[in-house]
Amino acid sequence: MENKTRTLYMIPYIGWIILFVVAPIALVVYYSFFDIHGNFTVGNYGKFFTPVYLKMAISSFWYAFLITIISLAAAYPTAYLLTKTKHKQLWLLLIIVPSWVNLLLKAYAFIGIFGAHGAANQFLDIIGIGTKQLLFTDFSFVFVSVYIFIPFMILPIFNALDNLNPSLLDATKDLGASKWTTFRRVILPLTLNGVKSGIQVVFIPSLSLFMLTRLIAGNRVITLGTAIEQHFLVTQDWGMGSTIAVFLIIAMFLIMALTGFRRRGA
Amino acid sequence: MASTIIQFKNVTKQYGQDPVVLDNVSFEIEKGKFYTLLGPSGCGKTTILRLIAGFTEPTSGEIFFNGKKVNDIPANKRQVNTVFQDYALFPHLNVYENVAFGLRIKKMKKSEIDKKVKEALSFVNLNGYEDRDIQDMSGGQKQRVAIARAIVNEPEVILLDEPLSALDLKLRYQMQYELRELQRRLGITFIFVTHDQEEALAMSDEIFVINKGKIQQSGTPNDIYDEPINRFVADFIGESNIIQGTMIEDYVVEFAGKRFACVDKGMERNEPIEVVLRPEDLEITSPDQGLIQIKVISQLFRGVHYEILGVDEQGNEWMVHSTKKAQVGMEIGLRFEPEAIHVMRFNESEEEFDKRLESYTEDESDGK
Ligand SMILES: Nc1ncnc2c1ncn2[C@@H]1O[C@H](COP(=O)(O)OP(=O)(O)O)[C@@H](O)[C@H]1O
Ligand SMILES: [Mg+2]
Repeated sequence: MENKTRTLYMIPYIGWIILFVVAPIALVVYYSFFDIHGNFTVGNYGKFFTPVYLKMAISSFWYAFLITIISLAAAYPTAYLLTKTKHKQLWLLLIIVPSWVNLLLKAYAFIGIFGAHGAANQFLDIIGIGTKQLLFTDFSFVFVSVYIFIPFMILPIFNALDNLNPSLLDATKDLGASKWTTFRRVILPLTLNGVKSGIQVVFIPSLSLFMLTRLIAGNRVITLGTAIEQHFLVTQDWGMGSTIAVFLIIAMFLIMALTGFRRRGA
Repeated sequence: MASTIIQFKNVTKQYGQDPVVLDNVSFEIEKGKFYTLLGPSGCGKTTILRLIAGFTEPTSGEIFFNGKKVNDIPANKRQVNTVFQDYALFPHLNVYENVAFGLRIKKMKKSEIDKKVKEALSFVNLNGYEDRDIQDMSGGQKQRVAIARAIVNEPEVILLDEPLSALDLKLRYQMQYELRELQRRLGITFIFVTHDQEEALAMSDEIFVINKGKIQQSGTPNDIYDEPINRFVADFIGESNIIQGTMIEDYVVEFAGKRFACVDKGMERNEPIEVVLRPEDLEITSPDQGLIQIKVISQLFRGVHYEILGVDEQGNEWMVHSTKKAQVGMEIGLRFEPEAIHVMRFNESEEEFDKRLESYTEDESDGK
């Protein structure tokens, strides 16, 4: 009786999962086995391992890696300082608010700021460096991506730091540890789960960024995300687009497996 | 022989504009003894430990460790270790690594660490638990790990902040014995915090009774139980009957409408005072044989004794612990010895109080 109601409650949930998670993935896998003329083939997978696509893959991973590392390097100290402030919830909110603004709007804002006559160049002019080409560079691409992703890195790290039992820090001091040792042996290991969550939510979406690559990087940065978009919208080679998507999905699962699941001391 | 290891000189602690937490506290701790800080919640016990450990600094006053001022020495450079109220064990490390934490920081050799950790764990009866996760340990076991983590560093002083308060009664009694025994074996100075007066009486060489950021009285458990300095101490330590009275002259005190012989002296004539009579020092007799007559209003069986409550003619309430039974509503008499009466002056400082008590013993040795 109770089991029956439980199954009943599960139906919408399972339905949702099938419709919006399983079916799309199955479709992507299905399409990846057809060439541009609609004939069944495994050739797309072979094509992925040619230099063109491998270079794209490496470039995607490289930029995602840069974006994640820089976000992490900026987010950890920020989150740490936030836990020490008086009105920490308010500060946290201020950091999160920009993430509610549409991505496209933020991208356009940066085109304005980084443009030839934008605020950034005016500033460089004033301090005597002179105007520089900022837009359509690797730098601007990574900078804007970090700006967009950083709240998602700060949030889990902040929570982990905030949940740290303060008497543990007294205990490490009590046992003779310096500040650095306290950080390395206690604070960092105990907030590692927050760091891992942050890496997941930044690295995975960074892998398949495509809009920013055109708007901010001016197509100088070609990632797997750009390639998928091109195949679906321009060359109409859905098969190859799907194959790349399959590899992205596999990459996501690998990253999840590397950073997640095995939780100790939760 | 007994040398001072820790000294507080006029230490005051205040957080911002809040009322003072510790109010001009001075005391000395001698090497190798078991000390207890006893007082109600919020009286400043933890604050004293945090000042000794170096987690916080005094607002004014000086703290000495082995004769050296340590106000500015950070916690990680002090020769003390703490057993925290919530144990504060590292959840990401197993039992072995928790205990080894302090030794690893000292960069000790692996073989030496191994030897010391094993030794500390066997001290607290936890051999064989090295590889356990902290989460898989019971409350009592965590407690022991916390103690092992402190003693393995061989500090000169161990601070224990209500370490037994989270344990159930039976385990608590057992740990009281074990802690006391451990302290004797190690010979390290223990400073133990509790709000449980029974625990304090059972374990300590010396007790500091604290209230509202001031040390009310310090002394051996016997001294404090038998000769409380004021109403707070008398009330906080054990059960007591506290009655308003008048000191007529040396060795004569009046309360409950009658005059009694007592052993106290040195007060003004007709000085208003309070007397303390412990419930177990009162003996039940027939009304005409008693020094005081009370009417029984309630009676509880406490296992070892009956706890009898009654009122005298003047309306004072009396508690009696007796192995004899009484009847509710019955009139009974109470007898007590002059030594059972303890006279307390109002607002007497600890020095004045000690001086007064000393003068009694001098009289005794003079063969009064
Ligand atoms: N960090 C702090 N900031 C402000 N007040 C504090 C702080 N720590 C303790 N107090 C105050 O000091 C008083 C004594 O606290 P504590 O020493 O912990 O008492 P106890 O351990 O005897 O229960 C309490 O009133 C508490 O609110
Ligand atoms: Mg406390």
